[in-house]
Amino acid sequence: MRQAFIVTYDVRDPKRLRRVYRVLRGYGRHLQLSVFQCELDARERVELMAKLRKAVHHDEDQVLFVDIGPADGRGATSIESIGVAYVPEERRAIIV
Amino acid sequence: MVLADESELRSTDERGLADEGSVSEGPRPYVARSLWLSSEALGLTAKIDVVEGSEDGSVIPIEYKRGKAPEVPEGAYLPERAQLGAQVLLLREHGYICNAADIYFAGSKKRISIGIDDTLLTTVRDAVRRVRVLCSRTELPPPLEDSPKCDGCSLIGICLPDETNLLRKERSRADDAAPSALRRLHPARDDRLPLYVTEPGARIGVDGSELVVRGKEQTTRARLPNTSHVSLFGNVQISTQALRRLMEQGISVTFLSSGGWFYGRAEGIGSNNVDLRMAQHRAAADPATCLQLARAFVEAKIRNSRTMLRRNHDGIAQSVLFELEQLARKAAESERIESLLGLEGTAARVYFGAFSGMLRGEAARTFDLDGRNRRPPKDPVNALLSLAYATLARELTVALGNAGLDPLLGFYHRPRFGRPALALDMMEELRPVIADSVVLTALNTGVVGESDFLRHPVGVSLTPAARKRLLLAHERRMDQIVTHPVFGYQVSWRRMLEVQARLLGRFLLGEIPTYPQLRPR
Repeated sequence: MRQAFIVTYDVRDPKRLRRVYRVLRGYGRHLQLSVFQCELDARERVELMAKLRKAVHHDEDQVLFVDIGPADGRGATSIESIGVAYVPEERRAIIV
Repeated sequence: MVLADESELRSTDERGLADEGSVSEGPRPYVARSLWLSSEALGLTAKIDVVEGSEDGSVIPIEYKRGKAPEVPEGAYLPERAQLGAQVLLLREHGYICNAADIYFAGSKKRISIGIDDTLLTTVRDAVRRVRVLCSRTELPPPLEDSPKCDGCSLIGICLPDETNLLRKERSRADDAAPSALRRLHPARDDRLPLYVTEPGARIGVDGSELVVRGKEQTTRARLPNTSHVSLFGNVQISTQALRRLMEQGISVTFLSSGGWFYGRAEGIGSNNVDLRMAQHRAAADPATCLQLARAFVEAKIRNSRTMLRRNHDGIAQSVLFELEQLARKAAESERIESLLGLEGTAARVYFGAFSGMLRGEAARTFDLDGRNRRPPKDPVNALLSLAYATLARELTVALGNAGLDPLLGFYHRPRFGRPALALDMMEELRPVIADSVVLTALNTGVVGESDFLRHPVGVSLTPAARKRLLLAHERRMDQIVTHPVFGYQVSWRRMLEVQARLLGRFLLGEIPTYPQLRPR
């Protein structure tokens, strides 16, 4: 159902950069500088792409979507890390 | 059409067809994009992708389709041709000469001409009339039977076609393999999750598409598209902006005391089904329907508590099980709601009398339960049960509201100011299998222990940390996948509540003959 994506971006203007960052915060987890990990269903993917399309400058910036497989299959196991450990995000209710 | 397609189309729109409704000033031939035409006489409104005008004064509407051109002699399937037919009718209505229409299939990069003849235009006028008739009716049309269109339809979880059809034929069902023919409910796991805020003084705001909860020590963020509902315990602040965003997204917000007492909920206007509410009010005014439902609720509750004892109590006395069995039978045949109250009370005494037998090891030694008591609870198990019941009542209130029912108007519990009577009705059968089970698991696995309780002269309460752990245990239970006892497919408890609420709606609208009890084996 849900597909896991690595979304990376290269934005050449601080104002647009912040805008792209804020859009992505709503859809996924900030993994590294300019790298997000998002688990999206078909509708969310289109929504996110449409929002990003509006936020970036089409001649200067670039956003890449890397499909890493189904969220509960390959998408969950395909990331390895060197250095600081990679901890997968747990899907559970948030209790503050 | 699947929603994703529509948003994708919208985004193609935004890029390619930006100059809305404009007609170029120059000489003919000209092109207009996103032309919006309506006609009251036809009862139609359309936004035509492209209209091409030629030198002789006639125009051609062009429809953009994302897919490939189908291999049919007419050039496209009937729905697409009818769409063009409607556009032609509109253009003619507005005084244009229009005798042809084209479809551009982006998938195969082909422009195909559609024949416009009287048969097609009559079909369109017919379809418009049928839709008008359907919209003016007060009851919903019956779900389709075994239609391949249902798979992948975004409304399948609301419409429940197979379930409704199965229950309609319940009487003639010979207990054969009918349930296995049911298609699996697609969003079998609702992957949006709730947000609970229990920390006193926390402030909830909104930042982009995230909720931001600022506590004393740390700030927590929750993504809005990932949130199913928000529960606020005690003195928690929420900003108007955040509340408005939540309503906009159709996420309900519930307000509770710090101990979990349910005060109410806030929800957006949504698109609730008014006819369903009217059916609910009619049913609540009819003593026979009330009794039928009340019987079903009480019988299922007694049977489910019997099931709990049978599953979790090692040395349960046969006499206890027998007594519960008898009580359940009496409840199913009871003629008055008052006698149901008596039967329910007796069953509760029998059940809670044996409750401590379900506690194991450490828990059984430290706790002992002397029947059910509350406001305030006088022993630890009762304190846990109170919170678990309040949590379940909240969960059901939200589920009923989402299904378009009025949670305040019950059939067995009489309406009282501020009491979600219908949620309490629906909760009866679920108390043992959800709430009691959460409490037992929490105690038996040591999730909460003796040190988690604060004993006061008047009663016992939970420490904030233990309250959070019990809520987590509740969430784990709601995520657990179980087999639906009537339909035989696997769903989470969370989804099961929603299915039950929608089936109750179907019963109230008279689409299915009886309310299906939820009785796991």
